[in-house]
Parts: sequence; structure tokens; C-alpha cells
Amino acid sequence: MNHTMKALLTGVALAVFAMPAFARDITIDLAGEPSSLDPQVQWNPDSYYVYRNIFDNLVTRSNAGEIVAEIATAWEQTSDTELTLTIREGVTFHDGTALTPEDVAFSVKRITDPAFASPQLGQFNQITGAEVVEGNKVKLTTDGPYPALLAQLVKLSIVPKAAVEAMGAEAFNASPVGSGPYKIMDWTRGVSVTLARNDGYWGTVGPFDTAVFRAVPDAATRIADLQAGTADLVVSIDSDAAAQIAGNPNIKALSAPTERVAYLGLNLDAPPFNDPEMRKAASLAIDNLGITEGLLAAGEVPVAQLASPAHFGYSPDIAPFVYDPDAARAITAARPELAATPVVFGTAPVFDQRVVQALQQMLNDVGFKVEISMTDMPTYLAAARAEDRAARPGLTFGRWSCACQDADGIAYPLLKSDSSWSRVNDPKVDALLEQARVSLDDKVRLDAYAEVAKMVRENYYVLPMYQAAVLYGAATGLTFEPTANESMFLNRMTWAE
Amino acid sequence: MLRFLLNRGGQALIAAFGVVTLVFFIQRLSGDPTALLLPETATQQDIEAMRASLGLDRALWVQYLDFLWQMARFDLGRSFVQNASVWDIILSRLPQTLQLAAGALAVALLIGLPLGLIMALTRGRAVSRWIMGLVLACQSMPTFWSGIMMILVFGVWLRWLPTSGIGTLAHLVMPSVALGLLSLATYARITRAAVVDELSRDYVRSARARGAGTGRLVRHHLLCNSMIPIITITALEISQLLAGAVIVETVFAWPGLGLLTVQSIAARDFMVVQAVVLLGAFVTIGANLAADILYSIVDPRVRLGAKS
Repeated sequence: MNHTMKALLTGVALAVFAMPAFARDITIDLAGEPSSLDPQVQWNPDSYYVYRNIFDNLVTRSNAGEIVAEIATAWEQTSDTELTLTIREGVTFHDGTALTPEDVAFSVKRITDPAFASPQLGQFNQITGAEVVEGNKVKLTTDGPYPALLAQLVKLSIVPKAAVEAMGAEAFNASPVGSGPYKIMDWTRGVSVTLARNDGYWGTVGPFDTAVFRAVPDAATRIADLQAGTADLVVSIDSDAAAQIAGNPNIKALSAPTERVAYLGLNLDAPPFNDPEMRKAASLAIDNLGITEGLLAAGEVPVAQLASPAHFGYSPDIAPFVYDPDAARAITAARPELAATPVVFGTAPVFDQRVVQALQQMLNDVGFKVEISMTDMPTYLAAARAEDRAARPGLTFGRWSCACQDADGIAYPLLKSDSSWSRVNDPKVDALLEQARVSLDDKVRLDAYAEVAKMVRENYYVLPMYQAAVLYGAATGLTFEPTANESMFLNRMTWAE
Repeated sequence: MLRFLLNRGGQALIAAFGVVTLVFFIQRLSGDPTALLLPETATQQDIEAMRASLGLDRALWVQYLDFLWQMARFDLGRSFVQNASVWDIILSRLPQTLQLAAGALAVALLIGLPLGLIMALTRGRAVSRWIMGLVLACQSMPTFWSGIMMILVFGVWLRWLPTSGIGTLAHLVMPSVALGLLSLATYARITRAAVVDELSRDYVRSARARGAGTGRLVRHHLLCNSMIPIITITALEISQLLAGAVIVETVFAWPGLGLLTVQSIAARDFMVVQAVVLLGAFVTIGANLAADILYSIVDPRVRLGAKS
């Protein structure tokens, strides 16, 4: 065999064996397709799994949950209502133009403009102004002191002013231009979105050449894709599916507690739950551990307050609820008239019906008369937020997330007396929530939330249940760390053969 | 013939108007989409602003007249959720649905018709009973179950076929079979009944007496005369296939109109849902009209009946 031949064969062998390492692509099965890739016009997970790889946010959260620099490298609270952020230099958009403080100010103004009608407006509408200031900085003004501002800015994506204005809304949505670690390559409506690596990214470059996000609505099919090796990462599986793939060496289940807090809401304005003792009976009737470990079993963490360890404002000192059905029965037996009052448990298909039915049975076992009323989502929403509070369903089950990991995001809408979701009417709780909402002093806020949590626990205003968990299925070689805010950043993943 | 066509065409138009009206009002009765487009934390003000920007704050009859005017211009509007023209969305999904319907119809016809014929010709014998058992099994299996089973066997275990999605002809096999099974059973049973019915007629006895073999009898006499019920069923099956596609497309992540329907209903995407329902209704009306015309060609008695 001559040298040329040898060299050639070696070359071929090298090429054959080395190829997979070079051309590693990833396929991710989502439940649905993104409704839009313009980061400011929708609000659903299938969209932000994808677009957050195309766009950078003003700040971000590390996998550990801390707020860290992204487009803003530093920030300073220059007054009670002003936050000044220093903008990173040397960042370019996928079209080659530089990302400037003007783009940041434009992005803030675009999403906070009521005429733009962004579904995310509610998260940013306390921002009243954004202006470029000297030294590569942007100054944000809020309508009052707003301690959760940075936590909200984790979700504020930066769009290029020039491209948005030149392309128009529809074209920008079809081929979005961002500054993130991946750029859009193809979007086949209804089928998949393909992203290609941005090799010039300022931060950690992604490990995959391309990433394909597919819409696979049936969870069983997503698992089959994973088993067949046609998908590397799949979202939204349940613990049964996780058990099903446990024996397969090629795939694994990944889980993490999220920032969604599940709770049983009680109507405090109508019998039987206008009686604190009956609320206590309900709390004693619920086998929370049975639900989290027996029924759901995805890594849910029981909580007795409307916050989780993933939230700022979580109070470690709140005692867990006690499960004691006999004590509950004693309470309901002493109040036969209240116990016999029919209770409507309002719900919609989107809520986990296993939990709803388990709750119904647990409550009826101790003497309540609960009936489930299942309607479609808009009907449920209208009933649960009905103007006349006494007419709302007696019970509702929900999982609340503000996507901000701050106690304010759950406690304020669910407990403040004038909020459309609240069933509570306690001036002291109101005062504490207001105080915590506008104080820039972490200590003051933590104390206020601890006090609120204590009052909710003592009065059984709401029955918090657990911190929900999220389960993913992944190929064994993929390293992906699920986070509480359910992010899916491609450049934080790694692949080992 | 012209009068017959005008008559049937007029009926089709009235049906279409009825469908348009029903679709509009039923959807508006079933809830407000704005609550779903906004996060839970949205305030009443946010909801009002969204309603206004979508034109949902106008009086119902204004919205209805506007809708009729749009329909007259074949304008299906824009999707609130996807931020795109409904025509574009529908047209991007239509080819996949047509592929799937064609595949399923092929499975149903090419297997169902011969099976029905065999059952008729062998009636009373064990073969016939076995085939009937098979046909009933096809009809009894729910698609969401048979689909997943096929994926597990042929996609995950044997690895012969891709588990889900679109792309190659191989991707089309499992969804077509899953969707076609139900129609297959219908075709087999209807064909059996029609052929058995014809077999007892005098002309069949005469043909046999003249020495026609089974092959000739089937080709020249039975098939043509059994066509009327089969055409009727095809018209009904086409609409059935569209309805069944909702489940099959979900299981196989097949991006057709069925999957679009499910996604749009879940997201309360009014514009898309009403467009899909209208399309389905027009396909049904169109298929029935085509069947009527086909009858009149196959069997002139139908046409004459319409005149009297």
C-alpha cells in the first residue's frame, strides 16, 4: 500500500469518525408551534422556548436563579423611580448592525406602548419611560418605587430598532432579527422552526450547528420520538412517561421544581368557607403528600404559602399544613348545615384533573358536598373573576406563575382585596402587600411577605399546596439543566457522545 | 339536466349560508378569546384594550354583517394568535390534509372494496366470517389507540417507519392506515351488502345461465350496479376523513387542518376555527353535490326523478 493510498484511507476514516462530533444538531419536540417569534407580541411557552435563543434579554437568570448580566452589564438604582443600566458594547444583531442603547430604549418603549397591545404589557406597564443617557446607558423610569423591576427585565427581549421599523410587524415576525446565540434559518408553519448557530455571538456559543423545534402535540408521540432517537429533548411529559423511559439506557427524564405555585382557592364570601373553622377543616382534609408523591410524583415540593423557594419573599418559617381527616370530620360534624351546603368546584380542562378529582374526594370524605363544574377556559375565567364575589365558585384549583420569581407576583393578585382574582378582604394584608410592593429595602419586603404568609396560614385564606415541577425527556448524552423559570437556552446545553 | 344542476346548486348555497351564520354565532356564544390571549395577571383594563384592538367590542350584529361581507369577498381575515392571514395559514396546512385524506381513501378503497366483494361472494362460509371479524376489529379500534400502537411497533420497536412528522412517503404510511381503517370497514360492509343485494337479482341468474364466470360477473355486472351506495358513502367518508383527521393528525404530529383546528380551538383563535369549519362544511356540501351529479350519470332514474 503506498503512502498516498494510506493517507487517503486515513483521511476517509478520520472524516467518517470525526463527522458526528462536528455536525451535532439537536431536535426538540415542543407541544405546539410558536404562535409568533416576535418576542413582544405573544405570551406562551412554545414561543419563548424558541425566541429566547434568537434574542438576548436585558438581564437573565443563571441556572441557579440569580439575576445576572446579559445586554445590561451593570445597573444602579439612581433614585426611587429610576434604574440606570449600562449597555454591553460589541454586541451585534444577526443582520450585522451594532446593538446600541437606542435599541434598548426602543424595545422598552415598544412593549410598554398601550397601542402596541402586547400581551406582556401587564408585566412591564409600571415602566413609564426609557431614555438613552451618556456613557452607553439607558435610564428606565417607573411610576413608583418598583422592587420587582429587574426580575421583570429578565423577560425583556431586545429588538433592533432599524430592522423592526424597516421590515414591519409581519415580516419581522416571519424572519426575526435578534442578537442571540442562534439565528432563524427556516420556519415551516405548523411543522418546525430551525435555528442556526450564531458563530459571532458575544457570549457562550451554542454547541449545536442547528436546532430544530418541532410541534408534536401528543405526549405519547413525543416519548416515542425520544425512544426512536428522532428527538433529543422533549417537553411536558408526566411522571408515568418518566417511569416508562426509566429502563431505557439511551434516554433520561429531567425534572426541576418551577416557580408555579399550586393552591386551592376558597370563596370567603359564601358558605361554607366564610367560616374559618370550615376552611381549617378543608386544610385538614387534604393529603398534600399523597398528591405530590403519590399522584404527581414529578418532584413537586409541598408548600404552605403562596411562594416557593424559587421566589424572593419565600418565608422558611411557615409550618406545613397538617393532614388529619378525623379532626376535619369532627369540625364538619359540628356544623351539619354548613357542611351540607353544596360547593361548586369550578375548573377547566387546562387544570390537572387528577388533582381536582383527588381534592373533591378528600373533601367529600370528611363531610363536604363538593361538585366539580368543568367548563371551557373563558367561561371558567369569567366565573372565577365574577364581579359579585359571593357568586364565584366555592373552590378553584390553580397553578400561579408570575414568571418573575418574586412573591409580589402571586401574593398581590391573589390576596390584595381590590385585585380581580382575590377573594380575600383583609386591610392588614392589603397594607403589607402594598408596603412590600413599593419598598426598595429587601429586609422590609421579606418581613412583610413573612407576615402575609403567616396570616394566610393562620386564617386559611387560601390553601397553598405545592411548588409544581416540570419534567423533560432527553437523550442520555445531552446535558440540560432545567430551571425554575422553565428556560431552554441552547447555549447552556452540552452534548457528550 | 340543467334544471337538476340549478336545483341542487341552489340547495348547496342555502346550506352554505346556514353554516356561515351558525359558525359565527356558536363561536361567539362560547366565550371571549381575549382572556386567553393575555396572561392571568392581566387587569380588566388590559382585557378591554385587547378587545377594542380586535374589534370585539362592537355590537354583535355589526360584527355579523361585517363577517358576511368578508365571506362574500372570500376574505377570511387575520388570525389574532398567529398574526398572519388566515388564507396563508389554511393554504399552508391544506396540502398535508389532502395527502393524508388521499392516502386514507386509497387504503380504505383498495382494501375495503375487495374485502367486501370477497365477503359477498363467499357469504355463509368461514372465510367470510373471518374477514367480517377483521373488519369489525378495524372499526372498533379508536384511532388514538391504534395510532400510538402503530408508532410503538413500527416506529420505536421495528424502526421501519418514522415515528411522527412529515417529509417522505414513509411518513405518510402510518397516518394513512390509522385514518383509513375506519373507512375501510365501512367500505367493506357497504360493498358486501350492495353486492349481496345484487346477487339475488334476475340478471345475475341470467348471466350465470349464459355461462359468465365469477370474474366476468363481477367486472361487467355487479360492480357497476353496486356503485350507488358506494358513491354515497364516499361523499360521506370524505367529510368523515376530515373529522377523523383531527385525532390522527394530533397523534402523528401531522401538520394538517385537523391539528390546526385543535390548536386554534385551544387558543380561541376565532378566525382560524371559523375558516376551518367553513372549509369542512363546503367540502361536505361539495362532495354531496358531486355525488348527486355522479348518481345522475350512473343511474339516469335519479335525474328523471328530480324533474317530476
